[in-house]
Amino acid sequence: MNKSGTSIVSDTTADAVALATGPVAGPRLNSDLVQLVIAITLVIIFGLVPNFVGNPYWTQTLQILILYASVSVLQNVLLVDAGQASFGQGAIFGLGAYAAAMAFGLYQMPWIFAVGMGLVGALIGGIIFALPALRVQNFHLGFVTLSAAIVFPQVVVILNDWTNGINGIIVSVPQLTNAGLFGASYLSIVITCFGIAVLCFHYALRRTRFGRRMRVAAASPEAAMALGISPGVMRSVAFIVTAIGIGFAGVMYLPIVGFVTPSAFSLDLSMLFFFAIVVGGRGQILGPILGIIILYFLPNVVFAQFLDYRLLAYGAVTLAVVLLFPDGIVGSFEKWRIKRRHATPDGGLRLDRMIADDLVPAAVGKPVTQAGDVVVKVRGGSKTFGSVVALDGVDLDIRRGEIHGLIGANGSGKTSLLNVLSGFSRLSGGTVSIKDAEITRLSASQIARLGIGRTFQTPRVFSFFSIWDNLRVGLDANPNVDAQLKKRAGALKGRLDTQSAEWLPHGQRRLVEVMRVVLQNADVLLLDEPAAGLSPEERVRFSELLKYLRDTLGTTIILVEHDLDLVLGIADRITVLDTGRVVATGAPAEIASNPAAKHMFVKARNA
Amino acid sequence: MLAELSIIAVRGIGIGAVYAIIAMSFNVVFSSSGILNFAQGTMFILGGFAGYMVIGESVASWPLWLAALLLATVIVAVVVTVQGALTLMPLKDSVEQHSWLISTMAVSVILTATLMLVQGPYSWTVQSPIPSFTIFGMRTPAPYALAVVAMFFWYFVLRWFLNKTLTGLAISAISQDMDAARAAGLRVRRLQLLAFTISGVIVGSAGFIVAPVVTLSADAGMRYVLHGFIAAVVGGIGSNGGAVLGGILLGLLSMFVTFQLGGAYQDILSLVLLVAVLMIRPEGIFGRSSARRV
Repeated sequence: MNKSGTSIVSDTTADAVALATGPVAGPRLNSDLVQLVIAITLVIIFGLVPNFVGNPYWTQTLQILILYASVSVLQNVLLVDAGQASFGQGAIFGLGAYAAAMAFGLYQMPWIFAVGMGLVGALIGGIIFALPALRVQNFHLGFVTLSAAIVFPQVVVILNDWTNGINGIIVSVPQLTNAGLFGASYLSIVITCFGIAVLCFHYALRRTRFGRRMRVAAASPEAAMALGISPGVMRSVAFIVTAIGIGFAGVMYLPIVGFVTPSAFSLDLSMLFFFAIVVGGRGQILGPILGIIILYFLPNVVFAQFLDYRLLAYGAVTLAVVLLFPDGIVGSFEKWRIKRRHATPDGGLRLDRMIADDLVPAAVGKPVTQAGDVVVKVRGGSKTFGSVVALDGVDLDIRRGEIHGLIGANGSGKTSLLNVLSGFSRLSGGTVSIKDAEITRLSASQIARLGIGRTFQTPRVFSFFSIWDNLRVGLDANPNVDAQLKKRAGALKGRLDTQSAEWLPHGQRRLVEVMRVVLQNADVLLLDEPAAGLSPEERVRFSELLKYLRDTLGTTIILVEHDLDLVLGIADRITVLDTGRVVATGAPAEIASNPAAKHMFVKARNA
Repeated sequence: MLAELSIIAVRGIGIGAVYAIIAMSFNVVFSSSGILNFAQGTMFILGGFAGYMVIGESVASWPLWLAALLLATVIVAVVVTVQGALTLMPLKDSVEQHSWLISTMAVSVILTATLMLVQGPYSWTVQSPIPSFTIFGMRTPAPYALAVVAMFFWYFVLRWFLNKTLTGLAISAISQDMDAARAAGLRVRRLQLLAFTISGVIVGSAGFIVAPVVTLSADAGMRYVLHGFIAAVVGGIGSNGGAVLGGILLGLLSMFVTFQLGGAYQDILSLVLLVAVLMIRPEGIFGRSSARRV
């Protein structure tokens, strides 16, 4: 707290200087581009050089390396960008390979048609993973995918009549393996291009609105919903998109190896794809390639006589990495690089001033529909958890453009009410409407899209993003960004794009969330204990900021807060809750003298 | 027809009890730390291997059998405790909260690979000293009955332990609110480690007792962890009563499928059942939906 305390009370001239000097040329926060270049170089070397040397063993081994690495890259997208651990991508790979092998090897269809069949096969596998992903996440999906990895070889054997069972299928594609350009076979060229394409996909995905929103959904499903993102859809899309790429890798496995058997796609393969990311460095562009080199290439080529110990090595190396350097090889190097070169966070950072100077003026001038009409309306709202009654017949009217405080003792239902308003939980009885739209049954992400923003007790600030990207996800959620807002936001980008959010002190994190909501263009703002953890100076500034937002933008602010002085100081009206019921509602002065609420103030002040 | 149904019923309940026991051992760790130990199935297999490595594959005398039971339980409990300590280690710095998914999977792979190197890919057939018994006119191997006894034993012991003893109540407190438990002065790490030990005692002893009627091979662990998880999901994760019902249900279903279609379809059934339950009722058939935390 010391650091942030001193930085925020530091004198204004110093601040002005800090802002005037503009962006400080810091080190790159991520080295994605450098890693991409290294990774592509490796893929080109592995994919093409053995062709010119003319060694079939090396050609084959390195082609498989590229395929496996490509699968791991896609698994990396799934694990880090979409946040889902899958132990079953080997089954997707196998589905692609088997569907194509059956079409080409057993049913004599043209190769190009077989490729299509392989993609369809993998897609079906992806859909099997994607369906439960709509509703559950994390370890649930870990078990679903694990189950699929175990089942896949069994299914191939059971469907003996169509798959040729344990005898496998011979696949020879001479037009790919024999002919070629400039001494490289078509197969080598296709595989090399595929490896490059997958790497570029990962790099580019992170720089799109969709990719950012996916990462937010992975890191914090709640924050995602508050930004109008549906995390289940994000997870499903990730499973389906990666399945198509992995399916293509499975298809290309055929011409390299020449035959398939069910045992080639056992659980070990899925484990290899997964563990390679962990060893190489989760989330790093280059990570999967290094991981596959260490877990697949070295044991097969350098330590071939220890092949029996391969599975043991997968497990042991992975466990050691998780325990000793959990960021993996590339990740650990990155951490060291950034720590060494990155200066301490900018002490003069005044986000509250940026909101007032840069952000809000861009948003002013929007037609504010008449202040005073009721924007949030709760009628007979009740919420029960089993036998516990959290809300009991709540009636609440919140007027446009007011700051409305919700106060009450712990367990009085404040947070329950806030969660109902933002859609994180649903009423057991009664109705809620916001801006004349009934929202009682809507999901949190649907409500967010109506222009309702919220902040959380613990600010949802993502350390893998720069400060700017943390704000940008708000802009991503804004359906109508006008030119002026874009321009102003561009000014912020210049200052905040090189600053990591990792070292932001708590008070600044709170402001990041508020800025995000302003960029989101939310006109109703739900704040859950925003003053918790702020120093007295920060509380004063924060109060000023809220009043400023109300006065300039006409934002309606609903505030759950324990700091009663703060609430009394800024709220236009206050609602007092007690054991789930509304006991008083009115202007701060009325509330302070209301007998039903008075005891609370006494208790709180004595506490 | 009737004979077939009674076999399905008796053996289904017996094997279902095994799934229920694994599910309960999941629950103990899960409620104290939010961790689902992917190595639990391999630990179950390890219990069988450890015991019968000592007494051999032939029929053992009673005292030897009991001694081996004790030994298998202790070995697995120790291994799971060490594993627990390793799993909890990176969780100290609270940034990385999902490394357990990777580390427990890695341990599972390490153990499977080690057993494979020691035992080869073959499955063991071992004998129980307790004679088979006859029920509904069917000769039934004793371990099926023992599994049901063990299931009820652990259900009631855990119920007593978690509700009546101070330590058990402390573990329950962690499952309610870890921060509050820590603030109240509970030694959270130590209690979580104890939960790992208890889960090791449960699966280790169960693995030994039912070894004669299950596939005792290195790579079978993954299938048991999966079936245990499905039992837990069907019953609602965290609920031991649900685990018992979910386990029995899964046991009956998989025995039914085995008889109707063949053993090869068991795992496919598991996958279909798992996806179906997660799609239709993720909180489990017997689970309650709980308040969402924000």
